[in-house]
Amino acid sequence: MSESSLDHDDGLLQAYVDGELDPASAAAFEQRLAADSGLRARYESLLSLRRLLHAVPRDEVPVDRLRSRIDAAVERKTGDRRSWRAIAAAVLVGAVLGAAATAAFVRPNSGQETSSLVVTNHIRGLLAPQPFDIASSDRHEIKPWFTSRLPESPQIVDLGGDGFSLLGGRVDVLGEQPVATVVYRHGGHTISLTTLRGPRAVSGGSIAGYNIRTWREGEFTYVAVADLPDADLERFKQAFLAGLSR
Amino acid sequence: MVRPGREGTTGQAVNDKDKRKLFDEVFLPHLVQAYRLARWLTGNAADAEDVVQEASLRAFRGIAGFGGINARAWALTVVRNTAYTWLLKNRSAAVVFTEDLDNAEQQRLERPAAEGEGTPESLLLARADAEEVQGAIAALPAPFREVIVLRELHELNYRDIAEITNAPIGTVMSRLSRARAMLIAALRNMS
Repeated sequence: MSESSLDHDDGLLQAYVDGELDPASAAAFEQRLAADSGLRARYESLLSLRRLLHAVPRDEVPVDRLRSRIDAAVERKTGDRRSWRAIAAAVLVGAVLGAAATAAFVRPNSGQETSSLVVTNHIRGLLAPQPFDIASSDRHEIKPWFTSRLPESPQIVDLGGDGFSLLGGRVDVLGEQPVATVVYRHGGHTISLTTLRGPRAVSGGSIAGYNIRTWREGEFTYVAVADLPDADLERFKQAFLAGLSR
Repeated sequence: MVRPGREGTTGQAVNDKDKRKLFDEVFLPHLVQAYRLARWLTGNAADAEDVVQEASLRAFRGIAGFGGINARAWALTVVRNTAYTWLLKNRSAAVVFTEDLDNAEQQRLERPAAEGEGTPESLLLARADAEEVQGAIAALPAPFREVIVLRELHELNYRDIAEITNAPIGTVMSRLSRARAMLIAALRNMS
């Protein structure tokens, strides 16, 4: 079938559906539609298709992260030679100062503060030589490591089959509490999954270009942080939940 | 005393500042659409972000080439072209640019609805769910997918689509018609 096989009626039909006919041609075409049931059936299936297409859910767009990526890229081009490391360090210093102020004056109980502390820990992990204290892809190795350091060890789920490989674990400090963070990797991105005891209010969204996704399961509240699109973190969450019940 | 070197640097900086202002006004307002288009053309969210970043740089460098009318079409043109260069470079196996349908696809298109004898096509279609629809769009060869996405999801008119895809309006129309026929065939056979 060649591209030029668009027949006359089909051309008119498409243009009518797309609102591209001038009023006189549209009126003439409507008269034909009324008289020709075959043409009307084709018209109706195009409308059904359009309804289906319009019902496709729109992806959430990570506007903030895109903006900061674009700003950074354009700034590099315009001779502002602040390196990425310098920017990251500035973010880190800001975040640590913010966290210190938070710890000193306010109890870290609001969801916003908790998620900002978790992001700070994640950034610190990224800037360290390794984002974990124990490197292992074996959950039977990570679990006892946590057991020997924390009153309670987290659930550790192997998600290698879902594209999230286990890298290791580390102990983070949140407020004054040590907490367990399990580290995963996905397509070159590091994911920190922090486990908090009990139901905790934690805000999702994004901080400093990192996306945060949080959920509760059983007696724990989980907070995942990564510079991954929301959709990927959602997949991570789903894989984690599915993995728990395996 | 004239110091040409200095002056050159200042001129460059001023120029960059103007460029940045223009870029912020012309490209950034269309960031959401840019991302959505990139998402459809690349097929996943992480690649879409890379493409949008790359496209922004291209847009910034080429902002002087923006003619002053229809910023949205201009921005989407840059995104579309960047997406294809990016795909060829990074995902060359995954993308089909051809417009020639193979025999199987052709037969599927021409096969009458097997199960739905007597049921109007519009009713058969209504049974498809969002995931099937998404899958069917994703399965279209690139030249058909881009026109259907630009028309139905970005709601652009033929002229803009022709400009963005660098094709004559007649070609846009026939691709749209084929894309719709393929989607209808795919979704009808699913339900």
